Amino acid sequence: MKQKLEEIKVQAKAALEAADSTQAVDEIRVKFLGKKGELTAILKQMGSLSPEERPVMGQLANEVRGEIEEAIAVSLKEMKAKAQTARLEKEAVDISISGKRKENGSLHPINSALEDLIDIFRSMGFDVVDGPEVETEYYNFEALNVPADHPARDMQDTFYLTDSMLLRTQTSATQIRTMESRKPPIRMIAPGRVYRSDDVDATHSPVFHQVEGLVVDKGITMCDLKGTLEQMAREIYGKDTKVKFRPSFFPFTEPSVEVDVSCSECGGKGCRVCKGSGWIEILGAGMVHPRVLAGCGIDPEVYSGFAFGIGLDRLTTTRHKISDIRLLFENDMRFLKQF
Amino acid sequence: MKVSLEQLKRYVEINVEPLELCDRMVMAGFEVEEAINTADTMDRVVVGKILKITPHENSDHLVICQLDVGEGEPVQIVTGANNVFEGAFVPAALHNSHLPNGMNIKSGKLRGVISNGMLCSGEELKITEEEYEGASVNGILILKGEPKPGTDMREVLGLNDWIIDFKITANRPDCQSVLGIAREIGVVLGTKFVPPVPTYKTIKGDINEKISVEVKNFELCPRYIGRYVKNIKLAPSPDWMKRSLIASGMRPINNIVDITNFVMLETGQPLHAFDYRDIKGGKIIVRTAQNGEKMTTLDGKEHTLNDSMLVIADANEPSCMAGIMGGLNSEIKEDTSELFLESAKFKRDSVRRTARALGIRTESSARYERGTDIMNTKYASDRALQLIDELGAGEIYEGVIDCNNGLPEERNLSTSVQKINGLLGLEISGQKMCDILNSLHIPTTLEGDTLNSKIPSFRDDIEFMADIAEEVMRIYGYDHIKGSPMNAQVLRGTITPERALDNKIKSVLCADGMYEITTYSFISNHAIDVLGLPEEDKRNQIIYIRNPLGDEYSAMRTQLTTSMLTVLATNINRKIPSARLFEVSKRFMPKALPLTEQPDELKTLSLGLYGEGEDFFTLKGEVEQVLETCGVTAKYVRAEEPYLHPGRSAKAMVGEKVVAVFGELHPETAEKFGIDTRVYVAEVYLDMLLNTEKPLVIYQPLPKFPAVNRDLALLCDRQMPVGDLIEIITKAAGKSLENVALFDIYEGAQIPDGKKSVAFNITLRSKEATLTDEQVESIMNKVISKLSAAGAELRR
Repeated sequence: MKQKLEEIKVQAKAALEAADSTQAVDEIRVKFLGKKGELTAILKQMGSLSPEERPVMGQLANEVRGEIEEAIAVSLKEMKAKAQTARLEKEAVDISISGKRKENGSLHPINSALEDLIDIFRSMGFDVVDGPEVETEYYNFEALNVPADHPARDMQDTFYLTDSMLLRTQTSATQIRTMESRKPPIRMIAPGRVYRSDDVDATHSPVFHQVEGLVVDKGITMCDLKGTLEQMAREIYGKDTKVKFRPSFFPFTEPSVEVDVSCSECGGKGCRVCKGSGWIEILGAGMVHPRVLAGCGIDPEVYSGFAFGIGLDRLTTTRHKISDIRLLFENDMRFLKQF
Repeated sequence: MKVSLEQLKRYVEINVEPLELCDRMVMAGFEVEEAINTADTMDRVVVGKILKITPHENSDHLVICQLDVGEGEPVQIVTGANNVFEGAFVPAALHNSHLPNGMNIKSGKLRGVISNGMLCSGEELKITEEEYEGASVNGILILKGEPKPGTDMREVLGLNDWIIDFKITANRPDCQSVLGIAREIGVVLGTKFVPPVPTYKTIKGDINEKISVEVKNFELCPRYIGRYVKNIKLAPSPDWMKRSLIASGMRPINNIVDITNFVMLETGQPLHAFDYRDIKGGKIIVRTAQNGEKMTTLDGKEHTLNDSMLVIADANEPSCMAGIMGGLNSEIKEDTSELFLESAKFKRDSVRRTARALGIRTESSARYERGTDIMNTKYASDRALQLIDELGAGEIYEGVIDCNNGLPEERNLSTSVQKINGLLGLEISGQKMCDILNSLHIPTTLEGDTLNSKIPSFRDDIEFMADIAEEVMRIYGYDHIKGSPMNAQVLRGTITPERALDNKIKSVLCADGMYEITTYSFISNHAIDVLGLPEEDKRNQIIYIRNPLGDEYSAMRTQLTTSMLTVLATNINRKIPSARLFEVSKRFMPKALPLTEQPDELKTLSLGLYGEGEDFFTLKGEVEQVLETCGVTAKYVRAEEPYLHPGRSAKAMVGEKVVAVFGELHPETAEKFGIDTRVYVAEVYLDMLLNTEKPLVIYQPLPKFPAVNRDLALLCDRQMPVGDLIEIITKAAGKSLENVALFDIYEGAQIPDGKKSVAFNITLRSKEATLTDEQVESIMNKVISKLSAAGAELRR
């Protein structure tokens, strides 16, 4: 009997070795381990054994069963693995083909630049406010320290709708509206459209965009202005960007400065983009004129502030190296899709 | 303001290179528009002496010249000019030379004969008769005297100067003058500024016997100085004066006119010379014009005046528009022998208004408009007389007429060093500030923390501490300003609800493959007509710009669609196969016309689509998407917009309000825009959707019981809207209805004419239990019977 059991074991293993499908393995399981299988047949003969032999043979039979079962499991596992490998191989795709997706649109480059500026300034605690595009002379000029017939009015050519209403030439008008309606501390930016009667060419557009900035608080200094603009310039143009102040004149700030950033193209060495100077002019700024503060009911002896006006279209064109501002307003799909 | 370096050097020591000077001036607030070295304009053009002229064998208009150009061997140059002669001294452009007109000259053959350069005309060297006598001759420039052959022509013409164009800001009218700029250069370079001190000989004589001056309006003319000069000898000005005038962009005329112009450029104070004999009645009257009074200015134009305009008149009529332009009747003529010289202060605003009204802009008016210094009138008058005396141009009467209503007192301004530093964020010492202000010709003393400054009359712009801070800073140097983080309580940057909504809508649209565009807010005055709107439509209430750049940009838009259509047309014309575009901008709707108050500026979303796969429903999908983002559910009804396809357009209503209008463009409108394909446009009125934000989501428990799906195919009238059928199904099925989805619409074979087949998939589910077959049957029967009642029969 013992010999028989050994034989079964050897036969089963050999059969498994030869099996080439899960079905064949199942047949082997039935043949050897099934109710009518060979091992069962032998176990049925146990009764003929002596009581001493019975436990020994029983144990041996269980061991053989265990070994065959294990061999079957191993065989099945291998087969499954093999089948899976074959399937995966067959299913391989050409990964160089583009993915399937819905085309995404995009914001206009002016507005995506604006969104970046809004993020930067909101993180510094600036509120974003809006003002009307059709303004009164008072808000666009007089309250900004530019009385009628003042030579500073020549700085901008204005579109008039009536004697006293015009298309705002600067977002600075929103400074006044903000100072009239809020108490310091004030930190705000006012983005928006502005209008000047400039003929259209590669660098001029009668409609363009500005982002006005205003801070009013106790103890605000020109160093704060520079710190704020440095932070903005680094985030927009790169972390090594330098900021330079040049004295200038705006009626509503005193002192007034033009603000240059180091050219991001050449790093300040001088190139075609910066016309050899190493610097690009991006905005005008200054400390809020005491007359402007007083006109809005803010005591210039107690409070000080700074203001700046970023030319958004120019920032956009220098940032993306767009050679002609007209492209921004033409809206050719081949242009828009690049952003 | 263009200034020649040569002239500047007469008043101030310049110890740096011209380009460094420019850089230093920029950092002091004087932007340099342009700096030109006049010597750069030509190269290798030398004096040549014509030794011999021989005819050209292949040409009867060319001749061959042998020239001494100081190189030992003669140089052969062929010329076509017929004014050359042997022994003449002429400008010769040698091989590899460069001319001011941009030409580069090289050796070559002219009709078979070698020519090693070119002989030049005055025009080719870009010099005028005023600069060099004979320069305007048609032919080669024949040089005066006997200059040494080989001498650089730049030396002969005096071209070794720099012309620097400074941009003068509106707050510095004092620097609209060579002396003003020289004064600033002295401060910036720390060198000595020496303005001319006018002295001149006078002759005895009573000016009051010659002329009287009456100022009738001291408000508009606070000071008027007059002088009388006789025995005028008109002649050309000396070269140095001509060069200064030309450098600053003025044309030399004669010594008297040139002196008035030169002194204006030098001092910033405009002067005017009258021919004395033309002053009727020996009287100068400074008065406002009478309404309708006429006057002809120097340029020959007649103007009709009004009573806001200041004129300088004689006993009879106006002879000068004050500060703007002289009259034709009193100009300096070739036989002028006596003159009356005016130096006056006119009010800035008045000159500006009058010059604008007359459409005249002169060097004089430009200076008055910026503002002149009342104390400078005397100096400028004296300076002009000094030059008249020096040039022997006339004899000056000793008396002075000086009409004024009292001269302004000196202004004192006290400022605190601490406050200046507080504004700048720096620690500049009081002494340093004091020194800077004194160097700027603002006499200042320091007492403790206080700077006591006497503000000179030419610095009217200095009024406040902030102005003093700026003066200190631009000389101390802005590079000292170091960026610092703002020292303040933590603030939270907010955005307006309008912007928050825009952002949400824009991100939804971008995710749907839409691209944002930016268009002008103004449109052509005819653009609105293209839409064919009924007359009473609000969009016809248009605000026009008074001074537009042209008809094309003359109206503030009351709708965004025409701008969108222009962009779509541009893309279509460029053969771009498809586009999905949007814009968020404002409509300008007047409260009343003519405009009495600021108009409503209404935020509007404009959509525009074309290309394969686009149809009414892809557009409607975007509109629905936007409205859902805004948290509103709209009812859709047919639109009656004349510019849209009547069968493929709709408006979205929320209650009684129209929140969107959209559809396929009417083929007639498309034609007007040159559009030859189907395009789809929408306007969503975001101003109507502001306070309708999508409510916060409240979680619904996930279903516990299974759903039942039933398909329903119906036959109904072609006209029956699917929306109505869905409404019937929804009502009839009641609370067990989870979803009803349209999956097919069919017309054609097997469907009777005028009918259509509509198929829905209906999902039913109960929250309480699994629906039994009987329950489902009962719901479906109810649905079918209600549909049938409405004319939609089940297809069997």
